[in-house]
Amino acid sequence: MSNSSSGTGTSSKPRAASSQPSETSSKRKRGVFQKELQHMMYGFGDDPNPLPESVALMEDIAVEYVTELVHKAQDIGSQRGKLSVEDFLYLIRKDLSKLNRCTELLSMNEVLKQARKVFESEEFD
Amino acid sequence: MKQSKDPFEAAFEESPPESPVETEAEADTPNPPSSSAPPLPQPQKVSATKDKDKDKDKDKDEEEEEEEDNMDVELAKLPSAGDPHKMAKMQAILSQFTEDQMSRYESFRRAGFQKANMKRLLASITGTQKISVPMTIVVSGIAKLFVGEVVETARIVMKERKESGTIRPCHLREAYRRLKLEGKVFKRSASRLFR
Repeated sequence: MSNSSSGTGTSSKPRAASSQPSETSSKRKRGVFQKELQHMMYGFGDDPNPLPESVALMEDIAVEYVTELVHKAQDIGSQRGKLSVEDFLYLIRKDLSKLNRCTELLSMNEVLKQARKVFESEEFD
Repeated sequence: MKQSKDPFEAAFEESPPESPVETEAEADTPNPPSSSAPPLPQPQKVSATKDKDKDKDKDKDEEEEEEEDNMDVELAKLPSAGDPHKMAKMQAILSQFTEDQMSRYESFRRAGFQKANMKRLLASITGTQKISVPMTIVVSGIAKLFVGEVVETARIVMKERKESGTIRPCHLREAYRRLKLEGKVFKRSASRLFR
C-alpha cells in the first residue's frame, strides 16, 4: 500500500485556504476528520492521544471505505437514477450491527423531525 | 443544557423514540431524572443486537445532532432504546465504571463525523449530486462503526504481537488487511467482464 506508507497520500490543497468543495476526489484536504477521529479512536480503544500518523492513516482508510461504499451504491442506484438511502442499506444488509444501527439512526431522525415540528407548531399557539 | 447530575447521564442524553414527543408537549420540562416508564409505546421497535459493543452503538451521532438543534428541545434522558430492562442493565453496568472507562465511554458516544464534512466528501465522490441529510447520517454511522472495527482489530493485533501502548500505523494496516480478508471491506468487484 504505497499510498498509505508514504503518509502524504494524494495531493492536497492547503488546509487554511478555502472551504470550497473539491471538484474531483483526487484532491482532498488533509486532516478533514482529524479532531473527530482522535476522539473516536480513543473511544474505541486507542490511547487518549493517538499518534498523528495513526489518525492520518485512519482518515485515509475511512475515506477510502466511504468512497468504495458510495461507488458501489452508485452502481446499484444508477438503475433508479438517483442515489438513495436504500442503496446503502442494501449494501450493508449482511452486516447486522451496521444495519441495525442505521435503521436506529434513521428512525431517530424521523422522531426528532416530528418532535421539532410539534414543538414549533406549539410555539405559535 | 445538560443539567444532569451524573456524568453518564450527561453522556446519556439520548433521545429514545417515544420521549421527545412527550416532553415536547410539556414545553420546557425540567430535566426529569431518568424517568423509567416511557408513556408512548414505540411504534417501530428497532431491535439492536445485545452484545456489549453493540450496546455501545447507541445514538452517539444523535448526541451531536441534538447538541446543535437542542436549543429549546429538551429531550428526555432515557438512555436505552426505551426498554426499561435494557436501561436498567445499562445503568447497572455504567454505575460500575471507573473514571477511565467512563471518559472513554463518553468519547465513544459523543464522537462522530461532522455532517458538513461528510456532506462535502460525499458530494465530491458522487460528483454533484445533492446529498440528503439522511444519507449523511447513514454514511456517518456506517463509517464510525467501520472505524471501530479497525481499531478493535488493531488492538487484537497488538495483543497477538504482545505490544502495548499507542496504536501504530503498522497495526492499523494489519487490521485493515485482516478485515479485507474477512470481506468486511468493500472491494470493487462489480462486473469485471469487460476489462
